[in-house]
Amino acid sequence: MLKRILATVLTLIMVLGMFAITGCGESTNSTNAYVVPETGFNMDEPVEITFTHTMGAKLQGVLDTYIAEFNKLYPNITITHQSAGGWGDINGQINTEIAGGTQPNIAYCYPDHVAMYNIAKSVVVLDNLIASDMKIGDTDEIIGLTDAQKADFIESYYNEGKVYGDDMMYTMPLNKSTEVLYYDKTFFDANGLKVPTSWDELWDVCKKIKEIDPDCYPLGYDAEDNWFITLCEQMETGYTSAKDGGQYLFNNDANKKFVKELREYYQKGYFTTQELYGSYTSNLFVETTDTRCYMCVGSSGGASYQMSNNDTTDGSFAFEVGVAPIPQANQNNRKVISQGPSLCILKGSNTTDQQILASWLFVKFLTTSIDFQAEFSMASGYMPVIKSAKENENYAAWLAKANGKEYLVAKCVQVGLDNEKDYFVSEAFNGSSTAREQVGSLMLKCLSAETDNVDKLINEAFEDAIAECEY
Amino acid sequence: MSKSVMSVMQERDIQKRTFMQKMFKIFGKTGTYAFLFIMALIVLFPFYWMIISSLKTLPEYRQAIPTFWPKQIIWGNYAEAFSAASLAELFTNTVIVGVASTLLSLVITVLSAFAFARLEFKGREAVFGAMLATMMIPGELFTITNYITVTNLKWTDTFQALIVPFLVSTFYIYLLRQNFMQIPNELYLAAKVDGTSDIKYLWRVMIPLALPTLISITILKMMGAWNTYIWPNLVAKNLPLITNGLRNAFTDTSGQANYPVQMAAVALVSAPLFLVFLFLRKYIMQGVSRSGIKG
Amino acid sequence: MVESRHQWKAWLYLSPAIILLLIFTVWPIFNTLRMAFLDGYGNMAAIGGRTFEFGIDNFVKVIDYKDFLLCLKNTAILCVATVPISTILALLIAVALNSIKPLQKTLQTIFFLPYVTNSIAIGMVFAAMFNIVGLRDGGTNAQTWGIINNAIEFFGGEPINWINAGSTYTANIFVMIVYIVWNALPFKILILLGGLQSINKQYYDAAKVDGTRKFRVLTRITVPLLSPMLAYVIITGFIGGFKEYSSIIGIFGDKMSAPGGESLNTMVGFVYDALARDRQGRACAAALILFVIILIVTLINNKFIKKHVHY
Repeated sequence: MLKRILATVLTLIMVLGMFAITGCGESTNSTNAYVVPETGFNMDEPVEITFTHTMGAKLQGVLDTYIAEFNKLYPNITITHQSAGGWGDINGQINTEIAGGTQPNIAYCYPDHVAMYNIAKSVVVLDNLIASDMKIGDTDEIIGLTDAQKADFIESYYNEGKVYGDDMMYTMPLNKSTEVLYYDKTFFDANGLKVPTSWDELWDVCKKIKEIDPDCYPLGYDAEDNWFITLCEQMETGYTSAKDGGQYLFNNDANKKFVKELREYYQKGYFTTQELYGSYTSNLFVETTDTRCYMCVGSSGGASYQMSNNDTTDGSFAFEVGVAPIPQANQNNRKVISQGPSLCILKGSNTTDQQILASWLFVKFLTTSIDFQAEFSMASGYMPVIKSAKENENYAAWLAKANGKEYLVAKCVQVGLDNEKDYFVSEAFNGSSTAREQVGSLMLKCLSAETDNVDKLINEAFEDAIAECEY
Repeated sequence: MSKSVMSVMQERDIQKRTFMQKMFKIFGKTGTYAFLFIMALIVLFPFYWMIISSLKTLPEYRQAIPTFWPKQIIWGNYAEAFSAASLAELFTNTVIVGVASTLLSLVITVLSAFAFARLEFKGREAVFGAMLATMMIPGELFTITNYITVTNLKWTDTFQALIVPFLVSTFYIYLLRQNFMQIPNELYLAAKVDGTSDIKYLWRVMIPLALPTLISITILKMMGAWNTYIWPNLVAKNLPLITNGLRNAFTDTSGQANYPVQMAAVALVSAPLFLVFLFLRKYIMQGVSRSGIKG
Repeated sequence: MVESRHQWKAWLYLSPAIILLLIFTVWPIFNTLRMAFLDGYGNMAAIGGRTFEFGIDNFVKVIDYKDFLLCLKNTAILCVATVPISTILALLIAVALNSIKPLQKTLQTIFFLPYVTNSIAIGMVFAAMFNIVGLRDGGTNAQTWGIINNAIEFFGGEPINWINAGSTYTANIFVMIVYIVWNALPFKILILLGGLQSINKQYYDAAKVDGTRKFRVLTRITVPLLSPMLAYVIITGFIGGFKEYSSIIGIFGDKMSAPGGESLNTMVGFVYDALARDRQGRACAAALILFVIILIVTLINNKFIKKHVHY
C-alpha cells in the first residue's frame, strides 16, 4: 500500500527541493543603532505596547502598580503584559513570534536570548536613545538618560548591555542576582575558622572541616558551568568571545590545569555539586542531622532555600547563616558571575517609532524608578540595578534588618550590593549557550569519571566539548 | 486388567482432570488478579505522587530524601492554587476548546475513516499512505509555519486558532479506519440495496459498532486540550488554557516553579476530567453485544 | 469493498480532512523541504536578511556529525525494545481486565487514572525512584539509594547506579526503556480495551462450549480478532518510538546524558538542538533522514503485519 507513496514522496522531495532555490529576500545593511526621529515622542498620540516576561503572580502585582504610576506620567501609553512561563519557554516563544512579525515590544531577556534575536536584527540598539537630549513633548524631561541617571546604575550591570561583540548597547538591566558563598557561621565561629576569600584559603578551610567532620562535604557548589566560567574569568585564561560571530577559547592548558586540580579536591571529598550529589546542595547545607556541607556557593536569588531550619522545639534557628562574596583567584581582578533578567526592546517591520519610543520610556522608567527597583527587589530577592534604591525608606528599613537568620534574603541582597564592582557576564553570541552547556558536561566528566589516565580523560573531554561547540 | 478396574481408573482420571482444571482455574484467576494488582500499583504511583506532592511544603518537596507522606499536610496549597490563577476563566476556555475540538474532530475523523474503509475510489491507497507519512515528521518543525499562517489569517487570540489547526489527526483516522474495516461489508451492501443513505448507515450501524473506539478518541482529544502548552502561549495569550495558565502563574523571577502549588492546581483541574472519564468508561466497557454481526 | 459509482462522494467525505491537512500539515512540510535544501539555513538569519544557496550541505553536515551514529543507535534501541514490551503488557492487561468480574470496575478506574495525572508528576516520580542521593566512597556508600534500589536490596541484590554520575550506558538505557513502556501503557490499554469490546461475545461462547484452553483462546481467537488494533498499536508505536526525545529530557535533563556519561541523544533530540541554535536547515535535513528511516521500517512492518491482520 505504501509503496506507491514512497515513490510519490520521493519525487515530491526532488520537485519541492528545486522550488527551494527561489525565495529569500536580499541582504540589508548591518546593525545600526536606532535613530531617534526628529519629531520625537508624541505625548498626545495613543500608543499600545506589549511586554513579555516570566514573572509569577506576586511580581506581576508589583508590576501592575508601577504601570499605573507610569500611566500618570504618560496616560496615552497602554501597556499589556504577559508571562511566557519559565526561562526555557520565553526564548522559543519570542523566536517564533519574530518569525511571524508579532514579537512583543519589550521582553525579559538573558544575553544568550538577545544574541539569537540579534541574528534576525530584531533588537533595538539603544545607544542613540540613551544619548538623546531631545525633550519629551513639552515637558522638561529628556528622552535619554541624564548623567546622574547613568551614574546611578551599578556599572557592571549597566555594561551587561554591551556583551555582543560590537560595544553597542542592546539591553538595560532590570534586577540581578549573583553567586554568593553561604556558610554556617555558628560552626565557623565555634571552630575558629576564617571565611575564605581566595580559592587557596577555601581548600585550606575544606581540609580543616574534613578533619572536624570526616563524613561531610565541606563545600557544595550548585552550578558546575558557572564555576568553570567564573574561574576562566578570574584567571583570565579565556572562555569565549563574541568577536567575529563567536569564538570558543576555553580549550587551553591553563583551564585543563584548574580542572585537574578540582578533580583532585573532588576525589578527596572536599566538595560536591548539585548534579554529582543528586539533589539540591542547599539540602546538605540546611540539614543538620545527616551528611552536611558547611559552605555552599549558590545564587543570591535562592537565599530562601539556604535558610537554616527553625523547626526546633523553641523555634530558634539551628544555626546562623553567614553570607560572603565567592572566593577569588586574584584580588586585583575580582570577578563574580551575574545573573537575572535584563530588558530588550524588539522591533519588526510594522513597529512604529512611537512604539519604540514608548517602549524605551517604559524601560527607562522601570530601570531608573527608585521605588520600583526597591519594591521589586523586596518581592523577588533579586538586587536592584541602581545605587539610589536604598533611598526608598521601606527598602532601607528592610535592608537594615538583614541577618543570617530570618532575614537572610535581605542579607544576601546587602552582600550583593556591597560588591557591585565585581560583576561580569560572559559574552553572548549564537552558540554561547552551547558553550555553557558543554563546559558543564565537561566539568562533570572530568571530576567524577573513573580513569587510570587523568590527563587523557581531561584532554578528551575538552576536545569533545570544543567539537560539539564548533559543530 | 478387569473391566471394573479400568473404569475405576478412568473415573479417577476424570476426577483428576476436573480437579486439575479447577485448580488451574483458581490459580489462573488468582494469577490474573495478582498481575492486575501489581500493574495497577505501578500505574497508580505517579498519581499518588502528584497528590502527596500537592500537599507538601516547598522545602519538604525539595528534600533530598523524598517523603512518602507529607510531614505536615498543607491544604493551603489548594487555596493558593485557587486564588493565584483565575481558574474559572481557564476552566471555561479549556472546556470550550476541548468540547469544540473533540466534536468537530470526531465528525472529520468518522467521515474520513468511512471513506477509507468503505468506499472504493481512485487514489485511495495513495492518499491514505500520504496521510500516514505525515505522522513520521516531528510536528515541532511545523510550529513556525503554522504560527505564520494563523497570524496571516488574523486568528490571533481567537478560539479557532486553538481549535482548527489540530482538528485533523491522521493518528485517529487510522485508528478508526482499522475499526471500521472489521465491520462486515455485507451490512453496507444490504443497506445500499435498501436505499439507505451513507450518512444514515454510518449513524445507525457503523458508529454504534465503533463506539468504544470513538470514546477512546474522545478521551484522548479532551486530554489534549488539557495538556497543550506551547501553542496557546503563542497564539492566544488572552485566552489562556489550563496548562499555560497554571504553569505561568507559579513561577518566580528565576523561572522556578512552586511545584506543590502547581501540583495542587493540576489536581484541582483534573478532577472534573476524571468524572467525565468515569462516566465514559461505562460506555467503553459496555461494548458490542449485538448478535448477527461479525466481530 | 464497494465500488462506488459516485467517486466524488468519497472525496466529499475526505474534503474537510484534506483541506485542513493541506494548510496545517502539507504546507509546513513543504517549508521543511525548502529549508532542508538551503545550505546553512537559519530562520532568524533569514529574517535578518541573509540569503542561502540551494544545496545538500545540510544533509552532509548531519551525517558528518560525530554523534550521528550514536543518535541513530539510541533511537533504534529505544524503539525496538519498547514497542514489543509495551504492546504485550498492554494486551495482557486489557485481556485480564476484560476477563474478571469482581473488582472489574475499580480496576478499570485505576487504569484510567494515568490520564488525569500531569506529565510533570510522572517525570518527578521517576527521578525519585531511580535517583541515588549522595553517592560516595567510590560508589559503595550513599545517603539514599532510591526506592528501586531499596527493593533490589530487599530481595538480596546489589544496588545499581541507574542515572547518577558514574552510571553505565546500559543502566541508563534500561531506565529509559522502563519509563517509555510505562508512559505508553495507558494509551495502549485504552485502545486495546476498546478493540476487545468490539469483538463479538459469540466467539468466546463457542470456545467455552469446546472447552478450549485459556491460552489457546488468547492466541487463536483474541489476537486474530484484535489484529487490526494490534497492528495499529504496533505501527504507531514504532513511529512514536522513532520520535522519542522528551522522555529522555524528562529524566536526564537538557544535557540528555547522565552526569558526565555517554549521550543518550536521539534523532529528534538532534533536531531540537539544531532548532535552538537557529539551524533550521540542519534540523529539517535530519527530520527528512529520520522520515525516510521511519518510512522504510513502516513498509517492512506493514508487509509483515498484512499477512497477519484479519479484518
